[in-house]
Formats: sequence, C-alpha cells, structure tokens
Amino acid sequence: MSAADIVATSVRKVYHKDRIEIPVLDGLSLKIDAGEFVVLMGPSGSGKSTLLHLIGGLDSPTSGSIRVGEYNLERMTERELTAWRSRHVGFIFQMYHLVPVLTAAQNVELPLLLFKMSSAERRERVATALKVVGLADRTDHRPNQLSGGQEQRVAIARAIVTDPDVILADEPTGDLDAKTSEEILALLNLLNSEFNKTILMVTHDPRAASHGQRVVHLEKGVLEREERNPARPAMAAS
Amino acid sequence: MALPLSYNWRNLFVRKTTTLLTCLVIATVVGVFTWLVGFAGALNRSLSYANDAHKLIVLKQGATSETNSAILPEDYNKLSQVQDVAVNPKTGEPLRSPEMIVQVSLPRRRDNGTTFANVAVRGVTDAAFGVHRNVKLLGKGFSSGSMEVIVGEQAAKQFGGVQIGDTINLGYSGNRGYKVVGYFSANGGPMETEIWGPLTTLMNSYNRNMYSSVNVLLNDKADPDKVAKFVQGPSVDLNAQTEPAYWYDQSKNIRIYLGIVGGLVSIMCVAAIFAIANTMYATVAGRTREFAMLRTIGFSKNQILLSVVIEAVFLALLGGAMGCIACEAWLVLAGNTKDMFGATTFTTMAFEIKLTPYMVVGALLLVAGVAVLGALPPAVRASRVHVIDALREP
Repeated sequence: MSAADIVATSVRKVYHKDRIEIPVLDGLSLKIDAGEFVVLMGPSGSGKSTLLHLIGGLDSPTSGSIRVGEYNLERMTERELTAWRSRHVGFIFQMYHLVPVLTAAQNVELPLLLFKMSSAERRERVATALKVVGLADRTDHRPNQLSGGQEQRVAIARAIVTDPDVILADEPTGDLDAKTSEEILALLNLLNSEFNKTILMVTHDPRAASHGQRVVHLEKGVLEREERNPARPAMAAS
Repeated sequence: MALPLSYNWRNLFVRKTTTLLTCLVIATVVGVFTWLVGFAGALNRSLSYANDAHKLIVLKQGATSETNSAILPEDYNKLSQVQDVAVNPKTGEPLRSPEMIVQVSLPRRRDNGTTFANVAVRGVTDAAFGVHRNVKLLGKGFSSGSMEVIVGEQAAKQFGGVQIGDTINLGYSGNRGYKVVGYFSANGGPMETEIWGPLTTLMNSYNRNMYSSVNVLLNDKADPDKVAKFVQGPSVDLNAQTEPAYWYDQSKNIRIYLGIVGGLVSIMCVAAIFAIANTMYATVAGRTREFAMLRTIGFSKNQILLSVVIEAVFLALLGGAMGCIACEAWLVLAGNTKDMFGATTFTTMAFEIKLTPYMVVGALLLVAGVAVLGALPPAVRASRVHVIDALREP
C-alpha cells in the first residue's frame, strides 16, 4: 500500500482555438495530502477535468508545476509520463472504457501486461482486485454481460490492480443510478480508508461529493473555495 | 509486454462482414498466388528433367522446333562426321536417335473430353532409349515394326483413349490403329506428355521419308557448344541446340503467360493492401476511445501501433489460410494437371501442380507483408490518437 501527495503550483493551461487563447486554468494552486480523498466540483468549463488530466500526466500545463509524490510532471517527457502513469496512477472514467472483446479478468489484467511479472502473479493480482470490488464470480464475463455498476467495478479493479499511489476518477458515477452510485462511492471510500489511496474525483453530484474528505470548488479556472467534510476527517498518511 | 493476442484475434470478429469481405480479397490473392507458384514450380520441375546438357537436338537449318523441321536421310548420314558421340556400351553403336514427330488430337480427361489437346507422337528407334537417359519403360515396350505405341505417364493421366489396351487412330488418313501396350516415364520431363511408337512404321503410316530431328548423346568429355557449332558448320549444315536450350525456347509462351499472371497477382496485392488499409481504418475509427484508454493506462504509442499491425496480420493470415484451402480444393476437384502449348511446336506440355508446405508458408508470408503495408497508416493513426479528445467522445 502506498500513497502520494499532489502539489499543483500556479498552474496555467491555455488552449488555442482559431488563434484565440482560451484560458482553462488560470494560475491554480492546490495541495492534496497523501491518502486524502478530494472532490473537485464546479460548473462545466471550470477546469476540473483539465486539472485531472494534468495531474494524470495526460497533458502538460502551459506554465506552473505539478508534483505527484517525488515526480515533477512538467519536467518529464511524453514517454516518461506514459511509463509513470502505468506505475503510479489508476484512472476511472465515467464511461468505464472497458475493452468489449476481453473478459472482466482480462480487462483488469491489461495494466499488468506492462510490468515484468509472471502470469501466475498476474492472475493472483487480478483475482485480488476483482475480489476487492466484489466481482470474484464475474471473472469470465464480457462487458456486455455485466450491468453498468459491474462494469464500473471492473474499471475500478483495473485502476487498482497495479497498486497505484493515486486514483483519478472523472465522474465515476455519472452514468449510474443512485443506488449503484452509492455502491461505487462506498468502494472508493474503502480504497481510500482501507488501502490508503490518494483519490481525486471530479463530479457534479453533491451526494457523490459528500464522500470526499475535502471538496474543492473551481470557477473559471481558479480555486473558488474549499470545504472540509466533518463526517470524513482526513487520515494521517502512512 | 504487448497487448494479448486474444485481444487482436477477437477484435477481428467484432465486424464480421468487413472481416469476411477482406478475407475473401486476401483469399483470392493467395489462391491465385499459390496456383501461380505451383504452376511455375511444375514448369521448372518439368524443364529441369529435360536438362541433359550433353544431349544435342539437331534440326533442319532455320527450323525452330521438331514439328517444323525435316531432315533428309542424306543429311542424317552427315552426322556420322560428328566426333565425341557417346556409344551404346552393349552394341558399340553411336547414340544417335533419328526421330519423327507428328501430332494427334486427344480428348482431355479433366473435362470429360469436351476439349482436345494436340499431343506429340514420336517415332523412335531403340537408340532413343539410350539417348534420352531420363526415359524409363514402365513395363512392356513396343516391338520394332509393330503397330504398337507406348504412352508417357502424364499423357496417360491427362488424355483419354491412351490407356493400355486402347487403340489410337494414327497415320496420314487417321486410319491406322495403333495399340497402346505400355507406359513410360521421363522423370516428369516434357517427353512424359508424348506417345512413342516404332519409327519406321509411323513414317510409313504418315507417308514420310524425312526425320523431324536427330537427338545425339555426347560423351562426358565432349564440349556440347563446340560440337553444336560443328553441326551448324558447312560440313553438316544443320541446326543444333543442347536440350536445356531447346526446352528453354519451347517454354517461352508459358513463361510469358506466367509473367502476365504474376503481374496480375502484383496488382491484386496492391488491391489487398488497400482492402486491409480500409478495414483497419474503419476498425481504428471505431475504437479511438479504446486506444485512448490504453494510452491512459500506460501503453506506449509503439505498442498500440504494433497491436493494430498484428490484428491486420491475423486478418491476412485468416484470409491466406482460406486462400490456400481454396487452392488445394481447386486442385483436388478440378485436377492438379495443367497443359499448355510449347512456343513453336503447337504440341502440349503437361505439368502436375502441387501445393507444397513451402508454397503455403511463402503465400502466408506474402500476405503478412501485404498486411503490414496496409495496416501501417491506420496503425500510425491509432497510435497518435489525441487521448483527451478521444476520452471525451460520447
């Protein structure tokens, strides 16, 4: 079990469209402790997903710096970022993004194929990850044989199977009903509280936000305000 | 480690119709390619059995083949001046074989006699069996002066009415019945498509008093080119070619035919490249989010590229296997023999086409190469997918 802190300093991200500059993040600074569960909220276009992508190394800031654990992302090449993501970051998407032709176990196994690891060890890790998300009996099912909630659980198992330091979730309950959403959020809570994962989750849903230890509100690319959740006090990082 | 091969294999069957159509294109290319290689192989095999460099084929000056050559007996006698001729160890006679060649039209067995082919009938003496060293009697031979013939193995396989016990109508008026009494082999060489009978009887039947050719076997110390030059010189004044040179000229038409078919296969390969490119472009376009996800979780651009190429190679190998099976089925159902005219003889050369493991491997390697070429552009596109934009796609 490991966790990493995240420090974004004066991050600016500008997109260009038809030679017009569109600032999405405007000098944003944010610190997330190792093992913390932080929720990013804000209206569409406020820069939540962009910040998530920058922290995940999928994009680079126009200026400013982002550090995740001991890694300064703005100094890394695209190839280094790709390798870093595979080892340190687990991604959860709103649309699950499972490979339809692979079984649940094979989908979960995908990130492990990037590691030097015996097939027996891979199988063991996959089984553990699927057990954590409560799908030990669905290993051979294809995505089209699973419900939306089960698909998201498989996606979560895929995100945690490499034991990453950070889990980045982009609207993980956006496509699920209320009951299933609660189950997924409970699972994220479990990963945070039991496995000490640093979690950064983007959501529009206030009920989903209530599962975080801290809620950060963005507005027009800057940090508008943040709230601590008294029901979920932050734990000390291990 | 790259993406699992099961991922690539199963993706082929997501778009079944597209996969099937692409496979059919590739199967056609492979089917024609393997048939072509088989044909070329059969031709080369056949000609390689007619490559006795110490055998001279002597024709009349200006003649290009035995069928348009006529050697008078006095010209034949001039050949006694030729040195370095091998001798029959039993009789001590020089191995010179005067031969007469005519054609007979025989029905092809493969289409139940619907079409006919011109088959060479060769009148020979006993010397022929010493000169044509690759010819072996399979059982009984004909008797000198008799109305009997023996038939080459390929001819017996391909044409009707030339099996042992059958009678073939030969002669100037086609009214001389010759009985088939045996078969002979020529190691798969062109003579295996011929019918042989006694020279004198056949010459009488056709009212001929001239030979078509004289085949001369030289001893091992002879320089065939030097002897050929002597034959072409003023003292003999006949045309002489070594056997390999003669048959190389005779197979000219077939080589042109193979060249044309080879050109068509090349064009088909280009079409297959486009077919694969088209299929893989469609596949990549439908899976941009999947590739973006793979990039997100840590797969490199090169791993994505390789994965798309492997998928295309699987597709090509599937089509290739279908093509090989179709080719073999064709050879089994339609017959694995093929005959064609010689360049100037208007007589038939027959071949047996075989699909060998090497040919199958060669064909599959060809389509794998075609697949790599066709898959590269879409694979590059897949590897360069814009991750964030693709993840946001609805």
